[in-house]
Amino acid sequence: MATFDTNSFVHTVLTNASNLAAKLFEGYVGQAEADTRAFLQASKDRMAQAASLYQQKQIDKDEFEDLVHDQKVLAEMHALKNAGLASAAVDTFVDGVIKIMIDAALAALKI
Amino acid sequence: MNWWSRLQRSVSSEAAPEHLSVSSLPLPVRRLLFAVPACLLALTACSTIAPYDQAAYEHATSTKAEVLLLMDRATTSYSQNTDKIDAVILDLRKAYEYDKGRARNQDTVTLWTKLLSPDALFGAFIRYWKTKGQLPSGYIEVKKKDVEDAFDQIIQLEQGKQKLGTT
Repeated sequence: MATFDTNSFVHTVLTNASNLAAKLFEGYVGQAEADTRAFLQASKDRMAQAASLYQQKQIDKDEFEDLVHDQKVLAEMHALKNAGLASAAVDTFVDGVIKIMIDAALAALKI
Repeated sequence: MNWWSRLQRSVSSEAAPEHLSVSSLPLPVRRLLFAVPACLLALTACSTIAPYDQAAYEHATSTKAEVLLLMDRATTSYSQNTDKIDAVILDLRKAYEYDKGRARNQDTVTLWTKLLSPDALFGAFIRYWKTKGQLPSGYIEVKKKDVEDAFDQIIQLEQGKQKLGTT
């Protein structure tokens, strides 16, 4: 008669799902922080370069304002990309948990 | 002993029997054992974002190279470059339409919209080029960095999407 080791199943699923969450979401948070920091630095440099070009009359007011406006749009794009990557991490986590549950169930099933 | 006590005992007590027969479990527990995977499977079917697509990735990387090359030409007159400009815009439209046709891909479509909108980034660049005839090299230099950054957001998002068959 087939038996099912519930204790082992629950313990394996909880441990592995917890490890997977830590790995996936800590990685995502670190990546998002690094991305934001890199963008802020690059944006600051570009703004300084645009301001310098404008002061030296190498670009006109419209062009300067356009370059400044780009930084706002780029900040939105970085945020949108990071939100998309978070969604992808959630999908990866859900798939991972299913795999963990199937593996744990097979391991716990004694025929 | 009720079913909850039996479950607790089987999970936490060292004295619990090593193996528990599925058929001997109370009905609510058996339901739980089947319901949890069923819920997770349903969640997978409702995944939140499109999976990785190699063609979309290639569209984004190749149009990025084309656009940056075209921008270098903006020190010469717009009218001299209309064929090249039209070709690049056509490739961008194709890339945008491809991504627009994919399910659960709204984030990427919004990124393309921001890149191509006439108010900013590459859309604004083309509008200025057309209006002014040609553009100063300093403006092109900074603008290229912005446009490159914008393309990188599309590319990085695609790269970060789940590759089907891997977890």
